[in-house]
Amino acid sequence: MYNLVMKDLKLGIQPMFFVFPILLGMLMLIPSWIYFLVPMYFFWISVPNMFGNFKTQNDLMFTSMMPVTKKDIVKARVSVIVILEILHIGFAVIFGLVHDLVYSNLNITYYFFAPSMGFWGLCMAMLAIFNIILIPMYYKTAYKFSGALFSATSAAMIFAGIVQWLGIQIKSVSDIFNVTIADHIAIHASVLIAGIVIFAAFTLIAYRIAVKRFLKVELL
Amino acid sequence: MLALDIRNLNKEYPNFQLKDVSFQLEKGYIMGFIGANGAGKTTTIKSIMNMIQTDGGVVRVLGKNMAEHEIELKQEIGCAFGGVDFYNRSKIKTLTDVIKRFYKHWDEAAYSGYLSRFKLDENKKVAELSTGMKVKYTLALALSHGAKLLILDEPTSGLDPVARDDLLDLFQELVAGGEISILFSTHITSDLEKCADFITFIADGQIINSAEKEEFKESYRLLSGDESQLSQVRERMISYKVNSFGFTGLIRSEDFDPSSGIKAATPSLEEIMIYFAKKEPAYV
Repeated sequence: MYNLVMKDLKLGIQPMFFVFPILLGMLMLIPSWIYFLVPMYFFWISVPNMFGNFKTQNDLMFTSMMPVTKKDIVKARVSVIVILEILHIGFAVIFGLVHDLVYSNLNITYYFFAPSMGFWGLCMAMLAIFNIILIPMYYKTAYKFSGALFSATSAAMIFAGIVQWLGIQIKSVSDIFNVTIADHIAIHASVLIAGIVIFAAFTLIAYRIAVKRFLKVELL
Repeated sequence: MLALDIRNLNKEYPNFQLKDVSFQLEKGYIMGFIGANGAGKTTTIKSIMNMIQTDGGVVRVLGKNMAEHEIELKQEIGCAFGGVDFYNRSKIKTLTDVIKRFYKHWDEAAYSGYLSRFKLDENKKVAELSTGMKVKYTLALALSHGAKLLILDEPTSGLDPVARDDLLDLFQELVAGGEISILFSTHITSDLEKCADFITFIADGQIINSAEKEEFKESYRLLSGDESQLSQVRERMISYKVNSFGFTGLIRSEDFDPSSGIKAATPSLEEIMIYFAKKEPAYV
């Protein structure tokens, strides 16, 4: 499994996609922006380019000739997706903290969610939805990704849109997430933990479904 | 000992079927796997490699069941599909660094030896290699991880005659030690005339014959004669062509009576393939 992950990191994925989490994380420095957009660049740029590269480079055929199980092939690919997602969220969190430091004296008014623990929990839930749709759908063929990517991205964006809309419409939510963050650390921590748990659970379920499907895939 | 033992392999597709494919390859020999395009060569090879799910049958490699010992056996198999490139914008060095991690018995010294022998430059990208060099690179990889069975799908297709001859010499050299066995599919029958010990012939998803090369050829006769002679053997012929001088056609040796006076010769592998291809519509 480790060798497969290294194969993706060294051959399958261009180094640029490991720099993107840093570059895109810097978008967190834009004051009072729609920060849900920051992790979304992963769906819009990294995933289509990476999966397109796997397809054009005959990665599936290459991998299947190595002494590895089909289960490990899926496990490694899911791990790589998770690594990149964590890098995207991780750097966004870091730049979110920088954002807080830089703008601490500016008294910014947030219309959309401010970077906070709770917000990162919501982002994790969004990635969980993305994974549970993308991964099982992709492994029906292990090479066609347009339909899977479109569905997964749409679902994640709808989730983010609804949550953000509620965050604007419901005054108490808006206050907790944007104004009185420090007074509601417990709520924020709970949302973050819930987000991480949902992310882990959904990704694990996605992996299991994907393995079942991939075992039936014929490598033509 | 059998390097490869395939028994009753079946696989059904909507428009194609592998039917009871069985053949065996003795350790230390070269087997040519011949058949026209679409006859089922690649499907059989992918079934051996567990890349497609068969509907039935058993594949044993070096005495072990492939379905049960896939990972272990893939350590001992070197496989190459002609015409397919992987990560061809990467340098050979980068690709090898990734691939060698997968193999327990990777021999770096042997790999360096093959690189210099094949005149492969590690800093070249795969896309910069000629077709022949790509095959040689694949072989260098397979041999450096200690592969005992090489399964090569059309390795000589697209090579010029010099590169093909060079490769065929290499195949013979590899099996000379008796440890390595080679199964290679091709539709270039002249390659097999040069180096194969055994021939397995597949047509329309069925194994027509699998035998030692000379025995394989001797099991058929290429007949030629006039039209009156054709009427004597027409029913027993595999297929035949009629021209202004009479006919030429293929028949199984057991169906031919040498005392009939019809001119008979041992066919080449190409002639056997061609006459079987002509027959195919009769039983499709």
